[in-house]
Amino acid sequence: MSDAQSTRAALARNERKGLKTGTANINAPRWRNALFIAPYMVFFVTLLVLPMLWNIWLSLHRADAFSIGRFIGIGNYDRLLNDAIFLKAVWNTFYFVLLSVPPLALIGLGLALALNRQTRTAAALRTFYFSSSVLSVTIVTLIWRIVFIGQFGLLATIYGWFDATPPAFLSDPDLVMIGIAIATVWWCIGLPMMLYLSALQQIPKEIYEAAALDNAGRWRTLRYITLPSIKRTVILVVIIQIVMQFQLFGQAKLMTNGGPNNESLPIVFYIYQMAFTRWDIGLGAAASEVLFVMILIAAMVQFMVSRKKGDAQ
Amino acid sequence: MSSFGLSKKNTLGDRLIIGSVIVLALVMIAPVIWVIGLSLKDNSELMANMNSVFHGPYTLANYFHIFGSSSVFRWVLNSVIVSGSVTIGILVLTSLAGYGFARLNFPFRNTIFIIVLLGLAIPEQAVLIARHQIFSEIGLHNTYYALILPGLSAPFGVFLMTQFFRAIPKEYDEAALLDNASRFKIFWKVLLPLTLPAQATLGIFTFLLAWNDYFWPLITATRKEMYTLTVGIASSQTNFAQSEGLGFLMAQAVFASAPILIVYLFFQKYIVTAVSGSAEK
Amino acid sequence: MTAQIEIKNVTKRYGSLTVLDNISLSIAANEFMVFLGPSGCGKSTLLRMIAGLEAVDDGEIAINGRRIDNLPPGKRGLAMVFQNYAIYPHMSVAENMAFGLRNISVEQSVIDARIKEAARMLEISHLLERKPNQLSGGQRQRVAIGRAIVKEPEAFLFDEPLSNLDAALRVRTRVELAQLRNRVASTMIFVTHDQIEAMTLADRIVVLNNRKIEQIGGPMEIYSRPVSEFVARFVGSPTMNFLDVDIASEGGFARATFPDGAKLQTNILTTGLPEKRMKLGIRAEAVKCVSEAAAATTEGKVDVLERLGDRTLLYTRLADDSVVVAEDIGLSRARIGDTVHLAFDGTACHLFGSDGKAYHPAEGASAAGREADHV
Repeated sequence: MSDAQSTRAALARNERKGLKTGTANINAPRWRNALFIAPYMVFFVTLLVLPMLWNIWLSLHRADAFSIGRFIGIGNYDRLLNDAIFLKAVWNTFYFVLLSVPPLALIGLGLALALNRQTRTAAALRTFYFSSSVLSVTIVTLIWRIVFIGQFGLLATIYGWFDATPPAFLSDPDLVMIGIAIATVWWCIGLPMMLYLSALQQIPKEIYEAAALDNAGRWRTLRYITLPSIKRTVILVVIIQIVMQFQLFGQAKLMTNGGPNNESLPIVFYIYQMAFTRWDIGLGAAASEVLFVMILIAAMVQFMVSRKKGDAQ
Repeated sequence: MSSFGLSKKNTLGDRLIIGSVIVLALVMIAPVIWVIGLSLKDNSELMANMNSVFHGPYTLANYFHIFGSSSVFRWVLNSVIVSGSVTIGILVLTSLAGYGFARLNFPFRNTIFIIVLLGLAIPEQAVLIARHQIFSEIGLHNTYYALILPGLSAPFGVFLMTQFFRAIPKEYDEAALLDNASRFKIFWKVLLPLTLPAQATLGIFTFLLAWNDYFWPLITATRKEMYTLTVGIASSQTNFAQSEGLGFLMAQAVFASAPILIVYLFFQKYIVTAVSGSAEK
Repeated sequence: MTAQIEIKNVTKRYGSLTVLDNISLSIAANEFMVFLGPSGCGKSTLLRMIAGLEAVDDGEIAINGRRIDNLPPGKRGLAMVFQNYAIYPHMSVAENMAFGLRNISVEQSVIDARIKEAARMLEISHLLERKPNQLSGGQRQRVAIGRAIVKEPEAFLFDEPLSNLDAALRVRTRVELAQLRNRVASTMIFVTHDQIEAMTLADRIVVLNNRKIEQIGGPMEIYSRPVSEFVARFVGSPTMNFLDVDIASEGGFARATFPDGAKLQTNILTTGLPEKRMKLGIRAEAVKCVSEAAAATTEGKVDVLERLGDRTLLYTRLADDSVVVAEDIGLSRARIGDTVHLAFDGTACHLFGSDGKAYHPAEGASAAGREADHV
């Protein structure tokens, strides 16, 4: 069979196999194409969308481990607002965000600015500073408990050389949140640093060259050229960190168990206690909805503030 | 090239800056050194005097003890199975979905994509309780299913893969269409091989997040043998206030950190890309 | 494999924007047809509609009598060479060329034979195992062509394949394409915005502008008898000169008065000319630099000089400030600022109405008014 014949034969074979012809427009929408997204969408709907909606529904009922119970509308939310512990948890969470986000944003920025160079030392240090973020919360809390713990912790041992007692970061009500914040900053510093670095590396070299020709010294360059160029990233970092730290859980549970006296109880730990220790599912769900809304509002406020600043430029 | 412009390198200022960064690094690593030190000491010695950590004798006994204890190995196995499965699952699901959103047309495509993106805004806590209930209903707690399946619904991978597929020039698709390739064949043979960097990045990212996950495994795996490593380590923490087996506990911590740090060192290139890539949103 | 292609009343819209309006044309078997036009005129869109990468909104496309516009791209028996080559980056050259044939289950022996032959023809046999990132731009382009050849298509489609090559390579590849055309007897459709490529390669050119066909014809026909002002401007380098002139009849033929008062007798019949004020079009090679005022039509001052080696282009300004590009010998003695005498060849000019329609010298015109009048 000649070559020409064999191609024609092959094409004819395919047509006989009943392959669809008559598709006039390859870009036309076809349900068949949705098969590609179908597997993922199954999980998305059943394990993300449905639970999210179900959670809201649960929050409106007096639910427990065994049944969904009575519909009580905003009853759970009412209970939350009247629960001193919940309100304390909200306060604690805000306090914690205030304690942890500024250091994360600023120290991260400082590290990124300092390590934004091509030397091998800088590269090694960057790898080092990010490595703590790779650990799980349980390991981080283990490490910091053994640092803070009275009598035989690292701090205690060092203070012991001077015959002094260290601040009781795990038991002093005024210090517990600070202790958790210190551990958190140690743990999470890598991400802000990396985000800043990536933004810094996108500043075109020509801008620095122009500044050099304009006789700008180191600090001027930093203040008027470098920092303004990464403003958007600073805002992004702050938004991300606020959202992340609002969700504080593991450190509080494992380092201080929320104590003493609920001094270090964040909202997520409250949710965990209500839903999975007391099995007051409805209340826990309601608290999680409140957290959800708080996070959304915080992120949106930040976003709008940044928009305004951007417009004003 | 640095943040300070093109001024001369290696000035005093530069040295001071790097110097302070190094000092800070030393402060940061101090707790880790402490932990490692403790792990290398005999438990009873530590109980007697904590300062004994600063001098010999050092021993690997605690580490050997881990090898004797079956729990930790079981936990490692669980973590490997769970994280590995979630990673493979996510890569498969999001590659298919990314191709579908980026290259194919179907009714409501744009709307569905936006809904998936909105899913990025949902925090874990808003779905945990309901998920827990669902898995209770179907009686799947304390199984690998419960540990693996929820992780497959995360929208981040879909976002990443869709962006990546969109960036590939359409001409490849067109040439392949003229080459009589079916849509699936175009996905499998032409485009997917071009996404390997994104797969590596997404894979590492997903593996890390799955390995370190705490809240969900905590509430779904209540039996000791189903703990993941992260949860297991937390469970052994609870009563070390008596400082009994302190060295052993620290050895567990070091042992638990090792795999993830090794993975990190090997793949840091991809992790960095994952992080910087998301900065360009 | 060769095909006769028929495009009937084809229209293409993007939403409310019409990109191609009622296009009809016929391409003969074995013909090298070029779609020429400026960016955005729809030439690529037309090619892609033939290929099946864009849908046809109205009208039909048929190959050898068989309607293809309702078939998917792979089933039309066509092969396309893309502007950016689009060779699969992770496959070797041989795998690239085999891909299409494998998809339709052609026997491996046939595939191997065809690859070998095409590689020999394109002189890429030594590159068969390499990956695209190890090839130069020119080599990649040959692989793209090779991939098309092995499919033995009814027709070849080329979408601006030379645009990504640097100038020297472009010229070389143009010559190679012409050679290829001789070796692979097949219908070819070539899209370009470069009129030199069109002129050198085409059997026939379709000039497209603003959603419609301006003219279809052979290169020389397009060049010497452009049907509209657009075509006259688009083809030819340097661009044709245009002057606003007043027409008077002299023995039945048009006599043009230039804005600066100079007069030129043409061979264009006055009957049928729509207005008294029209545009005169004349190419630079028909405007020569002469030494005596007696032989010249008018004079101008040299603004810009372009020495091309084989000729010199003089951009001269006439008394009324209009610019005329004239041609002189390569070793022209003219300098910027000089006043030169220009002789216009009246038999080689065209007239254009305000609607852009062109009027050409009558066939076999007499020698009436050959000597150029001068002021």
